[in-house]
Amino acid sequence: MNDPAQTSAAPIVSARGLKKRFGRTEILHGLDFDIPAGRIYGLVGHNGAGKTTTLNALLGLTSYEGTVRVLGKDPFEKRARLMENVAFISDVASLPRFLRVRELFALLTNIHPNFDQAKARSFLDGTDVKMEAKIKNLSKGMIAQLHLAVVMAIDAKLLVLDEPTLGLDITYRKRFYRRLLEDYMTEERTLIITTHQVDEIEFMLSDIMFIRDGDLILHMQMETVSGKFAQVLVRPDNVAAASALNPIYSETRFGQTAMVFEGVDRDRLAQFGEVSTPTLSDLFVALMQRGAK
Amino acid sequence: MKSLVALIKREYIEHKGAFVLAPGIILALMTVILVGSIVTHRFEMAYEVGAPSALKFFEFGFLAVSALWFVYLMATLFFYYADAFNADRRNNAMLFWKSMPVTDFKILGSKMLAGMTIFPAIIFAASLVTGLLVYFTTMAAVLFFPRINLPGLDSFAVSAWSIASFDLVYLVLALLWYAPFFAWVGALSAVVGRWSIPLAFLIPALVGLAENVIFNLGGPRGGYVLNYLRERFHFGDGDDHEMTWFFTDGPIDTGRMFGNLLASIDWSQLIGGLIVAALLVYAASEYRRRNVAT
Repeated sequence: MNDPAQTSAAPIVSARGLKKRFGRTEILHGLDFDIPAGRIYGLVGHNGAGKTTTLNALLGLTSYEGTVRVLGKDPFEKRARLMENVAFISDVASLPRFLRVRELFALLTNIHPNFDQAKARSFLDGTDVKMEAKIKNLSKGMIAQLHLAVVMAIDAKLLVLDEPTLGLDITYRKRFYRRLLEDYMTEERTLIITTHQVDEIEFMLSDIMFIRDGDLILHMQMETVSGKFAQVLVRPDNVAAASALNPIYSETRFGQTAMVFEGVDRDRLAQFGEVSTPTLSDLFVALMQRGAK
Repeated sequence: MKSLVALIKREYIEHKGAFVLAPGIILALMTVILVGSIVTHRFEMAYEVGAPSALKFFEFGFLAVSALWFVYLMATLFFYYADAFNADRRNNAMLFWKSMPVTDFKILGSKMLAGMTIFPAIIFAASLVTGLLVYFTTMAAVLFFPRINLPGLDSFAVSAWSIASFDLVYLVLALLWYAPFFAWVGALSAVVGRWSIPLAFLIPALVGLAENVIFNLGGPRGGYVLNYLRERFHFGDGDDHEMTWFFTDGPIDTGRMFGNLLASIDWSQLIGGLIVAALLVYAASEYRRRNVAT
């Protein structure tokens, strides 16, 4: 019998009224969202906004209020079962350092039913990571490559990456995301990723979620961003007129004023200056500042 | 089952320093000392004691080194449990193991089982190897002191088998008897890390003190709690045969030792202790499930 939650139409992740408190402090204020299969989601927010807490709730790593279903299961109650079809990297340094790479793969072969050792070995071909190397002797970049090889060798329906490239240089970061896209992503797989380097992942995202102070302030498909938001480099003589249209964000850079508008027709904006779609980082800054406490 | 075995193997890899390398070094040192004593003719001790026969010398030596290995195992297991239940958090590997399809109970259960199976098995093997060294030492002693009576090899084999069997049974029962103590320090470790080492003793002591000072329930001298713990800490009380046998001409009577050992065990306490151990591991796993390290 098919599980209705796992049919193609059902969301991979569903959250209703997701709240989380630490003591008397409420960190998440009742998030509602669905994540369908085959999408690449970017979860973006400033430090302490609740990104990691949200991901921890989805991964069954923390208790919560509200209803969360991942692949049809309650993640906090069924974490172990869920992890057969969910892979995640929450910290590139979290691999067990006392193991050799060979030992790690051998253990995973017996622990994880969906881990393919041959795949993992093939992902490491061409890297400097040797099978006999002890993990504690690998560089941070090599550990990231190894961890990526591990999760890519797991036949999972959902992959969650929480700041997977933190502390890595630009070369490793680009290689990391390229491998992820080329060797792992398929239409059946869903990826949720958080990072502060939003510009580096913008090209691969299908959907975006902005979280601010425990609230979801934006949740939309990337292709609809351009229809809703516009950025204008306003000519100096048009600043007053453009301001009258209530931009959600305005900043003067090197004598030029950049404004971000929401829901304003692009033809109308064109009279003030050059219109473009804001980058994710520009949009993030704009939305974070709007109505900020 | 496959994943449980793999997790126990993980424990072996992580802690083989204490349970493989250190015993290996001890055995190597023993061998060096033995060879050195043969080369330098230093067997005065054995001669002065005046062992009545080579077999008695062997039996006593084997029992003595087995006892020392037992003490080593118990001490090492205590520190193992004080570390292992918190090792994933300390090593910053908690999130990796949380990404595996195994429950926290299974992970902590594998740690508990590793300390009850594979590590004692290794130390038992080390004690058998040491028994072999004692045999060689005995042979060397006979070589230097021909007056010592030397029975046939079959007598040594029977003695070795008897002592090894007794050691094994004693070891298994002792591990089962002390399982709740190990689980207690392990569960504390899951919460407070290495502070579990002093707290494992401090908490019962404070409870005992509170009983005496605050509640003043009467009862036995020292209070119910401390008396119970003192009783519960005691294991394997036989008669004085183990010592008196050495000064007689008779062979070691492991049958009597088995009987004394089995008769001294409070089986309901042993089974109850195992249930407590399982509950402590479960409580520690629930704590681990609800408190993820980030």
